[in-house]
Amino acid sequence: MGIDFVDIAQAIIDGLLFGSTYALIGLGFTLIFGAMHKLNLAYAASAIAGAYVGLAMITLTGLPSVLAFFLGPIASGVIGFAVYVTCFRYIPTTNMLAPLMASIGALFFIDEIVIHATAGSPLSFPAVMEDIYLEFGDFGFRGDLIFVLAISLIAMAVLMYILFRTRLGLATRAVSQQPIAAELCGIAGHRTNAITFVVTGALGGLAGCMAAAAVGVISPLLTVPITVKGLIVTVIGGLGSIPGAIIAGFAVGGFENLFLLLFGVNQRDIYVFLLLFVFLVFRPGGVFDTAIERD
Amino acid sequence: MAFYFGLLQTIGIHTLLGLSAYILLLTGQLSLAQVGFFAIGAYVSGILTVIFEYHIVPGLFLGALVGGLFAFLVGFPALRVKGLMLVVATIAFSEIVRLFFFNLNWRVSVNGVEVGPDSTQGFREIRFYAANGWDTLDVVLFVWLFVVIVMALLWWLDRVRVGATLRAVGADELAAQSSGVNIVAVKVSAMTGGGIIAGLAGGLYAHSATYVDHLTFSVLLATFAVAYPILGGLSSVFGTLIAVIFVQGVLIEGMRFLGDWRNILFGLLIIIAMNVRPAGLIDGKVVLRIREALGTGKKSGGEGHAETR
Repeated sequence: MGIDFVDIAQAIIDGLLFGSTYALIGLGFTLIFGAMHKLNLAYAASAIAGAYVGLAMITLTGLPSVLAFFLGPIASGVIGFAVYVTCFRYIPTTNMLAPLMASIGALFFIDEIVIHATAGSPLSFPAVMEDIYLEFGDFGFRGDLIFVLAISLIAMAVLMYILFRTRLGLATRAVSQQPIAAELCGIAGHRTNAITFVVTGALGGLAGCMAAAAVGVISPLLTVPITVKGLIVTVIGGLGSIPGAIIAGFAVGGFENLFLLLFGVNQRDIYVFLLLFVFLVFRPGGVFDTAIERD
Repeated sequence: MAFYFGLLQTIGIHTLLGLSAYILLLTGQLSLAQVGFFAIGAYVSGILTVIFEYHIVPGLFLGALVGGLFAFLVGFPALRVKGLMLVVATIAFSEIVRLFFFNLNWRVSVNGVEVGPDSTQGFREIRFYAANGWDTLDVVLFVWLFVVIVMALLWWLDRVRVGATLRAVGADELAAQSSGVNIVAVKVSAMTGGGIIAGLAGGLYAHSATYVDHLTFSVLLATFAVAYPILGGLSSVFGTLIAVIFVQGVLIEGMRFLGDWRNILFGLLIIIAMNVRPAGLIDGKVVLRIREALGTGKKSGGEGHAETR
């Protein structure tokens, strides 16, 4: 089978569209890291759990399936708040290992609750705009992936607005730059961090719904791969860099699909990880190399 | 009885895996690469005893050495980054190793039987113990011999200058560097030491299980490896042992009667443990109290670190 230019371009296009979910997950990791200088490994688990809650709501009440994309993020926001309170709020801030470990505990806990509730079997997730297929010359654009891209672009725009145009965003950025100085200026540090967790949780829930809609099924088995891909996006984008995470998300999505075409499903991830190592060795600060050296 | 012997083997192997992460955590580095070295040790020693028909002792020894060699090679680029970047880099390393063995196919005929790693089917024929007439008790004693040696070695290292150097890098890199400690050398040595221990644990695991495949060496096992020392506390090697007994003996085997709920409880207990005892079950204060009780409670100066973690 020959692989010609059109196949490669088509694979990259599909990957870029799906990469928007990676971008959202990477954004969540990077925002929490920016705010607290800590890693929340339960993040992808809460995203998937939120998507499950959204799915359960529309299945149980018979609401239109688009509503899953609103209910899922709300549920994930609540879970994000719970993760903050249980894993970060009451552990001393100088302790780096304990909250990381606690968030791994939360990852197990959330995953197991989902497995318990669904008896471990994957459920099918409703796709939106599935029957639309746009064609431009040799290239096609899957309607459900376009929907995913559109939603994530809107989410990113809203996030940017909150971060850079509202008092809440100002407080978040202040706490992330100088927590003590921010506290002295009258900003409630814990409250700001909690809000960051809720906002990023909602973002994750949206990403979880979109990943599930694009794949077609939702399963707790998605959690670990999404966590790993999200972390890769965070590192390639540069820890704490918001535009970096967005660019890296699309890039990882595109490269992943390209590697899938070139090397097959068994070896795809090897090349994604090698890409990560290339960045770690040559650009450890990420694509935009922001000046976060206070780790 | 066979059940308890099996459990003892698991506890011993997981203790070694935990200790390989412990030595790195002392220098303040959180590495999820230990499972990669564990996999390398498992496959290398398995291939040596099965395909090349080595005795198990040189097989384990070489598996551990190859694990250490890879740790040494990974140590240089990986330790250029620190903290959370290192977490991600080491996850990537472990996954590359796992995917390598997932794709590895090396079937050869030994004494008329086809053996060796068979990519997705795993590596099935690691039967050194059975073929040489070792019973389960022999295997338990063999595994624990290594556990005792490694624990004694680490316990002793903590009492000499090396331990102080490792902990100094962990407590404050900048201060350690300005006191003339070569932090790159210290970190890479700790990484290599951890790789050797993890490789040894992998070899023991492969021969106890008689069967390895790529699914065993997942990110989940990597998180277990770092979970033991963090849960147990970094003040003493015994913390890791106690955490392994607690997790493998009490939580996983002791609560089987809870069925499905056991796994939910598992995550919950980790969260509670980290909130109640952020520096681990056995933190610096507990170690001091035990020393006082044993009548060896002299001030050893290096204990304050535990509370800052």
